[in-house]
Amino acid sequence: MFKKILFATSATEASDHAARVAFNIAKTYQSNLNIFHVLGVPTRGYSQVVVDVKTKERVDVDEDYTAWVTEEIKIYYEKYLDEPLDYTIDVAIGLPAREILRQAKTLQPDLILIGGSTGDEDDIVYKKSSVGSTLQKVAKAAKCPVLIVNRPAASFWGGLSNIVFGTDFSKTSDKAFDFAIKVAKALDCELSVFHALDITSLHTGKMLSQDEIEQQIRECLRKIRSRYESRLKELKGYSMDVWEGIPFIEIVKYARDKQADLLIMAHHSRRAPSGDIKLGGNVEQVIVRAGCPVISINK
Amino acid sequence: MPEGTLCNKMPVDTAEGITTLLSDTSGDTYYQEMKELEVDSDLLWKTIQNTCKSRMKTWLEICAHCGMCAESCFLYLVNGRDPKQVPAYKIQSTLGEIIKRKGKVDNQFMRDTMEVAWAKCTCCNRCGMYCPHGIDTGIMFGYLRGLLYQQGFVPWELKIGAGMHRVYRAQMDVTDADFVDTFEWMVEEYEDDYPGLTVPVDKEGAGIMYTVNAREVKHYPEDLAEAAILFHIAGENWTVPSKGWEETSLAMFAGDWAACKMQVESVYDAMERLKPKRMIGTECGHAHRATVIEGPYWAGRKNGQPPVESIHYVEWLAEALNTGKLKIDPSKRIKEPVTLQDSCNYIRNQGLKQATRDIMKHIVAPGYFIEMSPNKEHNYCCGGGGGFNGIGKFRKQRNIALIAKRDQILATGAKLVLAPCHNCWDAIRDLEEEYEIGIRWSFLKPIVIKMLDIPDHLRPEE
Repeated sequence: MFKKILFATSATEASDHAARVAFNIAKTYQSNLNIFHVLGVPTRGYSQVVVDVKTKERVDVDEDYTAWVTEEIKIYYEKYLDEPLDYTIDVAIGLPAREILRQAKTLQPDLILIGGSTGDEDDIVYKKSSVGSTLQKVAKAAKCPVLIVNRPAASFWGGLSNIVFGTDFSKTSDKAFDFAIKVAKALDCELSVFHALDITSLHTGKMLSQDEIEQQIRECLRKIRSRYESRLKELKGYSMDVWEGIPFIEIVKYARDKQADLLIMAHHSRRAPSGDIKLGGNVEQVIVRAGCPVISINK
Repeated sequence: MPEGTLCNKMPVDTAEGITTLLSDTSGDTYYQEMKELEVDSDLLWKTIQNTCKSRMKTWLEICAHCGMCAESCFLYLVNGRDPKQVPAYKIQSTLGEIIKRKGKVDNQFMRDTMEVAWAKCTCCNRCGMYCPHGIDTGIMFGYLRGLLYQQGFVPWELKIGAGMHRVYRAQMDVTDADFVDTFEWMVEEYEDDYPGLTVPVDKEGAGIMYTVNAREVKHYPEDLAEAAILFHIAGENWTVPSKGWEETSLAMFAGDWAACKMQVESVYDAMERLKPKRMIGTECGHAHRATVIEGPYWAGRKNGQPPVESIHYVEWLAEALNTGKLKIDPSKRIKEPVTLQDSCNYIRNQGLKQATRDIMKHIVAPGYFIEMSPNKEHNYCCGGGGGFNGIGKFRKQRNIALIAKRDQILATGAKLVLAPCHNCWDAIRDLEEEYEIGIRWSFLKPIVIKMLDIPDHLRPEE
């Protein structure tokens, strides 16, 4: 299932939760784990000087320095690396999102695993020209599923048994569904298909009556059945639900309710029938709030 | 030890040579060796006799030492009006002295001269506008750098940079295959959002041949996608050459005249091969100066022009906006105080001030564009021009040099600075890092893309 995993890490606390999951998955599924760290942004035009993201120091990057950083990463993850594990460590220079994507282009992993925001938005090293976070950029452009672990709560992970798949009925969501089915089958999990009926932005200025809401819920359920049920039957267990509310909140609530240990969603679904451009934002909100890892699928 | 293994009079022209130089962290050994480097006075004097022509000789001769150039030099202003920072003094005490002594100068003199040539002048050419005789110290320093390079007295990074051009015909170790591959990768990443987006490689007879800065390929490849998107939306018939795609020239900063010629000829060869109607380079100042303004002379072109009409990116962008090839959604224009950095290399030295002002009119809501003072051809260098940005040895001096730009930006009150030049963009970023004045900075491409009014047939299907 996950033969090759690219784990992008800052090798700091910010990536600790993601690391726990990364090593856990790699061990459980005997994956090849590539630990990838972007050590800093090349500043000073064409000079060799880089501001190291961890130490905040200006350093001349040469072979010795990258070797030292690689060693530091090994030490940082010592407790995981002590046990048998098929892994490699790579260190790069550049803007993190771009370098992670470049690494993915070379490695062609089955999964990119990445931690949440470093939380330090004013971090001068990465302030640079980047619009939006590393996470957003990677999730938008990656050709393979991207697994994000943002909260500590999302990282206490003992294996997979319940997967929640959130759909907005877009084409990208269909692709995400294909992936969800594949994972559920391969790992013998239950899959819950969920849609959140957005009662906030769809009908701005208009209060929906409860009858209208329930009518729409029924319609969405019908849609889920016609779209997905035939394939869900191949699984050992599945369920289908539609709840109304603020979509990202409902998804997080639903996942909690289902004791999900993985959430799968499409990231870039601006071509959704409703034209709801906030769906991208929904995934981001889910990532920030979810109590389990989230896999975002783009292509 | 007259000639070092790293620091010597030989240019670097192999990949191994570059790797060896690069592995000398910070150039420590390189600069150590430089202290022992012998000056070949005969060669120096012979070169001067062959290359120092009447303009340069006249300038050195007629300088009246009036000091009018002093106030024009931003380095003089930010260094406590140190008399040693007066342009006339700087050039007379270096190039003037070498000529006076017929090349008989020693190692210490050459090392001091190296510092003046790369840390006390960015070749911004501002002084030339204020000299009553029209003496342009920047041009003379460009010449002096050539003499220094020939003798091996050149900053470590620039020896490497010039070597990169010799080996890769690019300022970084980016091969032709890397370039095409990265461009295609980027276009692929954005083709869902812009249906039909492609990068036509080596297309003959296109309307535009686009050239870039290797840094974009190496570290900021989004820039390539953005260029493709804008050409695509504007409906241009464009192409990139698989060879001769690098517009910049660190060799020019280094004073490696032979490498300058090699580099620019690779671009001209691409022009001859693909026969585009026009060549357009990316948002880079020195690249334009190297390939469009000075290049024809390096390549020995009699008419002083590149093989095909070559314009700067801002000229194309202004044209595309003025003619409606690109349309801006007025509601998305910049609605916050914003200022503009005029790049010395194409504003002062080529007079393109109107093009950038036209662009500002299209992309900034009325009342929000605030000019720096001084501006246009009178604008100060960003503080990092002429190679200054990249030289570790002169980092301290460079950081002081940023003060002029910092204060100009602060005086506008703008928090957003548009800098359509790689060098300026770098310097402004570095000044934020150094002085933390709370600004953002950007090239034009990403800003324009965000506010485009895209025709229906070019939008992704719903």
